[in-house]
Amino acid sequence: MEYHLLPFDFTRIAGQEVLVNEFGDMFVAPMGTVDKIVNRTLEKDDVYKSLVANFFISEQQVPATLDIAAARLREKKSFLDDFTALHIFVVTLQCNQNCVYCQASSRKEDSVHCTMSEETMARSVELMFRSPAPVLTMEFQGGEPSLHPELIRLGIEKAEELNKSEGRVMRYVLCTNCVHLTDEMLDICKQYGVMISTSLDGPEFLHNSNRGKTDSYQKVIAGIAKAREVLGVDMVSPLQTTSVRALQYPIEIVDEYVDLGFKGIFLRALNPYGLATYNQDWDKYVDDFVVFYKKAFEHILDINKRGTFFMEEFAVIVLRKMLTPFCTGFVDLQSPAGIINSVLVYNYDGYVYASDESRMLAENGDFTFRIGNVNDKYEDIVYGPKVQRIAQLWANETLAGCSDCALRNYCGADPVRNYSTQGDPYGHRPTSMLCKKNKAIIEYLITLLIERKEEVLPIFKRWLL
Amino acid sequence: MNITVDRKIYSDICISKTVYALSKDICCQRHINDDIETIEVESQSDTLTDDMTVKLFWQTLNDYKNREIIATETKEIRILLYAKAFADCDTFDENID
Ligand code: SF4
Repeated sequence: MEYHLLPFDFTRIAGQEVLVNEFGDMFVAPMGTVDKIVNRTLEKDDVYKSLVANFFISEQQVPATLDIAAARLREKKSFLDDFTALHIFVVTLQCNQNCVYCQASSRKEDSVHCTMSEETMARSVELMFRSPAPVLTMEFQGGEPSLHPELIRLGIEKAEELNKSEGRVMRYVLCTNCVHLTDEMLDICKQYGVMISTSLDGPEFLHNSNRGKTDSYQKVIAGIAKAREVLGVDMVSPLQTTSVRALQYPIEIVDEYVDLGFKGIFLRALNPYGLATYNQDWDKYVDDFVVFYKKAFEHILDINKRGTFFMEEFAVIVLRKMLTPFCTGFVDLQSPAGIINSVLVYNYDGYVYASDESRMLAENGDFTFRIGNVNDKYEDIVYGPKVQRIAQLWANETLAGCSDCALRNYCGADPVRNYSTQGDPYGHRPTSMLCKKNKAIIEYLITLLIERKEEVLPIFKRWLL
Repeated sequence: MNITVDRKIYSDICISKTVYALSKDICCQRHINDDIETIEVESQSDTLTDDMTVKLFWQTLNDYKNREIIATETKEIRILLYAKAFADCDTFDENID
């Protein structure tokens, strides 16, 4: 049969061939379809018509829908138009907790020489405004940033001042353990609409054991309640981290979030630094995490089927890429990677990093992804030779393994993670645990859409509204 | 165990990509003799039998051959698609040779 191929990739999932075109549209076809497409032995049936309609093959050499396809592709990469939107300010490394998997290299509350100076905060805010993004998110992290409300106020006031002439949409996020949210801190949050992002690992026994304290849970719950009362329920969102112990409690963790009235949960795996504290095999952890994820996800589906709206937020990001024409702002699943393009980190000591994980590497003595200092010129930081070298490895369209992967539209590139886990920013996909985890979860979601479409699609559509 | 591949049918790129893709589970040594390549394959996985290894190798190789055909045939339309998507310019020559 006479037709022209259009660019697409394919894989096999749940006994079907899954074809994905250049801008992420997915088409599920019977086994053998790709052979037929390539060998020109397709029948002119419904499959053929769908392949033409969905930009997998074309009856003209240059399809009439090329402009539409180009617009779709541009939209999928539109996160690049704005450049860095998320700016993380590591206010201090001081912390009032002692979490076993601490990923932020925190130090004791009375530690010195680990808090940002006022000059560094002011200069960091100026740098943030050099980014062309129309929406700027200023995220305060630590350690525990709420130990320094005066610095947070200073940073926000400086941003508000500069924004009088800049006219950007400003968003503020405070990442806090909620253990010691003072009235002063909450006043700042109320005044400037600061969202609270906090950590809650699940039920009391689990949360406390992860924190190495006996009263952490009670304090966090009290802090969340106080913040909700002052700021509003939707201004507080928790983040879960799956410690090795947590792997045994998927149902209990989800139920805790539902009971506290949250609308969703981000089931988050440990990063390599967190895992290092357990001295555990990465391979086994990822296998166990995927089992944990699926059990938790099935429970979330049941909760939704019983009439309660409750999302799994990693799935929402993947499903948005899969089922809608839009891109997401999630920095961990982007290509080109989220580092620098979507996030910059201003460390307490005045150095600028490509991502949060980059500065954690630095806390362990590795400065590979330190890209400058707040006193450097903006152009030298974000377009400097180091970033140019990183840029050669940050698109999964060009990386071995990823470039031939049908799932690459739903996944992302992460040179920092490649470097920290495999010793090489290019990475080796067949042995990459990040690849294994992402692939397993994306394939699981596609399997649900193939095998249980009637049951799951209405739920997924509600999540995507 | 040896697998013999005709390099007139499967390009070096297809074979290399197959070896790369399977490198977690299968150790391959490549011996090239003109148009015939002999690949010594050894499973590194407890769950992969010899039969499964051979089947997996050929399936992966054939997938890469299909991908190569798709990539070759769509090279120009892909360039045009990306140019239209990302270049700040509206006029393109859409004549493909
Ligand atoms: S990391 Fe793995 S799953 Fe993701 S695009 Fe690359 S090969 Fe595919």
